[in-house]
Amino acid sequence: MAAQRSKAISSLANRPLWTCLAVLIVLTPILWRGPMPWLPTAAAGGAIRIGEVDPLTGKLANHGQEIHEGILYAVNEVNAQGGLAGLKVELISRDDQSQPEVAINQTEDLLYREKVLGLVGGYVDSLVGPVSELAAKHRTPYVASASLQSRLTQGRDNAYFFRVAHLKGIVEPLCRFVVEVLQPRRVSILYANTPGSTELGAEVRACLEKANIEVPIFEKFRSGLPDFSTFLLKLRQARVDTLISGGFFADHLVLVRQLKEQNVPLRAYLGPWGIAYPEFIETMGAASEGLLGMCAWNPDITLPGTEVESRNFVERFAAAFGKTPNTTNMHGYVSAKALLLAIAAVLKSGHELTGENIAKELRTVNLVTPMEHLAFDENGDPQHYRQTVVQIQKGRLVAIYPPDRASAGFMAPSGP
Amino acid sequence: MQVADEVQTPRYYETAPAGFSMTMRPLPASTFLYAAAVILLITWPFWGGSEGIYCRVMAMAFFYGALAYAWNLYSLTGCISLGHAAFFGLGAYGSGLASHYLGISPYWTVWIGGFLGALYGILWSVLFRKLRGARLGLATLASVEIPKVIVDNWDSFTFGSLGLVGIASLPGLNFAGLTVAFKDNFRTQYYLLLCTLTAIGMIHWLFIQSRWGWAARAVREEETAASMLGVNVAWTRGCALALSAFLTGVCGGVYAHLIGLIEPSMVFSLHISALPLVLSIFGGRYQTLGPVLGALILYPLDQLVFRSIFPVGHAFLYGLVIITTLIFFPNGVAGWLQQRVKIS
Amino acid sequence: MIFLQLLINALSLGSFYALVAFGFALIFGVTHAFNLAHGELILLGGYLAYFLVKYWQLPFIWTLPVCMLGLTMAAVLLQKLLQQVQPPYELNTLVVTFGLALVLQNVMLILFSANYRLIPSVELPFELTKFALNITEAQVMDIVVSLVATISLHLLLRKTFLGKALRATIQNREAAKLVGIHVRRMSLIAFLLGGALIGLAGPLYARTAYLQPAGGTEPTLIAIVITIFAGVGRTRGILLGGWVLGVAESLSVYLLGSGWRELVSAVLLILLLILQPQGLLPQRARWLG
Repeated sequence: MAAQRSKAISSLANRPLWTCLAVLIVLTPILWRGPMPWLPTAAAGGAIRIGEVDPLTGKLANHGQEIHEGILYAVNEVNAQGGLAGLKVELISRDDQSQPEVAINQTEDLLYREKVLGLVGGYVDSLVGPVSELAAKHRTPYVASASLQSRLTQGRDNAYFFRVAHLKGIVEPLCRFVVEVLQPRRVSILYANTPGSTELGAEVRACLEKANIEVPIFEKFRSGLPDFSTFLLKLRQARVDTLISGGFFADHLVLVRQLKEQNVPLRAYLGPWGIAYPEFIETMGAASEGLLGMCAWNPDITLPGTEVESRNFVERFAAAFGKTPNTTNMHGYVSAKALLLAIAAVLKSGHELTGENIAKELRTVNLVTPMEHLAFDENGDPQHYRQTVVQIQKGRLVAIYPPDRASAGFMAPSGP
Repeated sequence: MQVADEVQTPRYYETAPAGFSMTMRPLPASTFLYAAAVILLITWPFWGGSEGIYCRVMAMAFFYGALAYAWNLYSLTGCISLGHAAFFGLGAYGSGLASHYLGISPYWTVWIGGFLGALYGILWSVLFRKLRGARLGLATLASVEIPKVIVDNWDSFTFGSLGLVGIASLPGLNFAGLTVAFKDNFRTQYYLLLCTLTAIGMIHWLFIQSRWGWAARAVREEETAASMLGVNVAWTRGCALALSAFLTGVCGGVYAHLIGLIEPSMVFSLHISALPLVLSIFGGRYQTLGPVLGALILYPLDQLVFRSIFPVGHAFLYGLVIITTLIFFPNGVAGWLQQRVKIS
Repeated sequence: MIFLQLLINALSLGSFYALVAFGFALIFGVTHAFNLAHGELILLGGYLAYFLVKYWQLPFIWTLPVCMLGLTMAAVLLQKLLQQVQPPYELNTLVVTFGLALVLQNVMLILFSANYRLIPSVELPFELTKFALNITEAQVMDIVVSLVATISLHLLLRKTFLGKALRATIQNREAAKLVGIHVRRMSLIAFLLGGALIGLAGPLYARTAYLQPAGGTEPTLIAIVITIFAGVGRTRGILLGGWVLGVAESLSVYLLGSGWRELVSAVLLILLLILQPQGLLPQRARWLG
């Protein structure tokens, strides 16, 4: 070591000759992915390529993977029936790691290098937003599976953005349910520090106050908090009888458990996200009894008239993936199906398979799915998306609102 | 007093920053390699990946390299900061909010962002001047929460958790009649970020070269001795931190205008704090080219190569690379390369 | 009484935090290895306990020793890895364990999938109706286990010769070498003990919170905060630090709302660091026999 040091000292100006060489050597295989003329262009050579960008790893991994499964199922279903006009559909999935800049990178790759005909997927609005802008710039239609916020469609002139869900479809039924069925004295709202949850919280509060219902506690929490006991103490003190929790699956796990542990007397606990999943019932067990949630679809809760399709979906999905599908899977499925339908229509009409034509066909899509009667309005929002309020009764999800979808009534908790 | 086998790795006093020479020498061959690498990077968008993703990934690699340089400025004084995301976030929000409310061009607001970052850095210097080592690291980590929670809860001004959307992107520049647009154009963004990297890299290099840099080195090696020699330890650290915070804030501002939307959890995240740290240490903290080497190797490797090998769980390879590099090259890649240099 | 209930909640939360921090504090104190993969190790312990409970129907209390054993072995592996790291030790172990955390996270993601899991605690709370208080079995367990762990560690460190050697290593590694303490062996023992403590925290974490592969950063942060809060190498300070943090957080949630919780903790931590950098407990005289 001493010898090395003296050698180094005497060399004075240490030009890192090798640094540059090493940089070049290491970077070359990464960088030399230059022009690749042998890449197939979309639909030439017999494949229709659609792209998907979802959070497959990271914090939102389990939701992203569920959407991915739904989309994959849709693609496999179409391929099993011979594809679209005889052409196979190829799905190119990318992971955005729950980070916007990665979403942007992957979308660009899909659009420019893989030259996909359409995009599908996406979980939260901070990821969906940038993707939608890129898709518009490239004139490629994008059908988002799970975007909710109003800012993505209001006041934006994006002819290439469509989505199969929106927040209004959650807030409206929720509000009406609370006002008409629950008729609470005091409601408290707890929302997570994500944009979607914040917007939900604000909208629900506005709606409830308009109906003259008191909202004494309106709080934001950071998702991942393992302890709600103090919050529950405040609830008890304020003598609130209904809690609307805008948290997610994991938050409900902790909150509900602590609710039971602290024996907080609540008439209703409503979680728009994360509760209406069979896994939730399985994980929570008996403690999930009586909880309220919302979903757009579930194996037993399907749009009237689509029971057969729903059953087939459940069976085949279970056969393919080894588990019962849930509402997130269905969102992925419906969004992919819409896109594929539009592509099929363009092929049938004999027009050129371009983004503009697909987008035009998407505007006129009229598809009855177990989740909703899908039709897009001029902003890209789904016209008939309304979630149903469900309750966990005897270990099963039962729809209780709106009346035309209900199979049972709301069961208030018994006991003191 | 040092026990024999616990002596620290040879200090690279002799790792004279590039350009420092006591005697006149002919231009070494490596200058041409340097030049070649630079030309390579400059012309890259035209012959290399003409598709967007390569430009984009390299552009982001430059961005993180610049961030790593900014972070490294503070680490040169021997302080490891785990909370640079605070400056980044303040810069992003400062710039974003300024352009949102005041309507000023983003080219001015990024400096506002940097200035905000620098202010917070000065606050740190004042509050944390007695802390060292792990305690300082922890204090910096904790101090990310303060602006984060304030921004998150101050709904009326910062839009809180909803995030700031629709931030104006960098408007085009006019060069003698030729307009260079930045919005949605990967190539121009590539060059913009390359220029940012070069500028911050130059500042970093100048810092090492200057008297200030020598003072920082002294403080880093042996604080007590340095103060005996008359180096004002607090001032050196404070200035380095202010500069580092300023540059990080500027990067934050640039980020806000590039991506177009920011949320508190996005810009004040641990990921932003950790990445420059990892890149700098991977590349070599005390080398002129260390941070940028780390950024240029590690980031594209992860985004382009690992991602295609291992779509789910590619971060696994990333972690493995970090572990193996640190074990075999404790002074970073550039440090290892330095050690291998024969007298040239 | 509301405040008594608040206190119980805060103390049990604080005990939980302290449990999470013990392993990290011991390892950091003796070896100065900054283990950023700490949270992931706790999750591993948690997953082990989860599978034991779910598939082998092991009663919860027995998962504790099993996980302690398992994590002790894992900790030894970790020590072997970190032995390869060269100086500057603190910094390099920080980065190496950062990489290790990524590796472990993704291994767990691949093995266990991203679904959330937890060990259900179905027992009803004990009601002390006279005082209108509720306390659950999980809370009791948290408090009791952390007390037992603190007392055992304290006894170990203060009353045994091994403990004295460990303390010497914590105080001054060089001097410890000079008086003949086998520092390498102390490191190994620190990792063994630390691993056991992590294994203790794992099942309790799975029961009090939930398991998710990406969820390792939270416990790591808590551990770092409390270790430095308490002062490096002061074990009783850890429990006290946990309680202080628990009380501070609960109070801030109660008075200000859940959204300000992190800010209050951060400010408290910074104040403590500035005003009393050697930790919560007053520094004892160095040469106390």
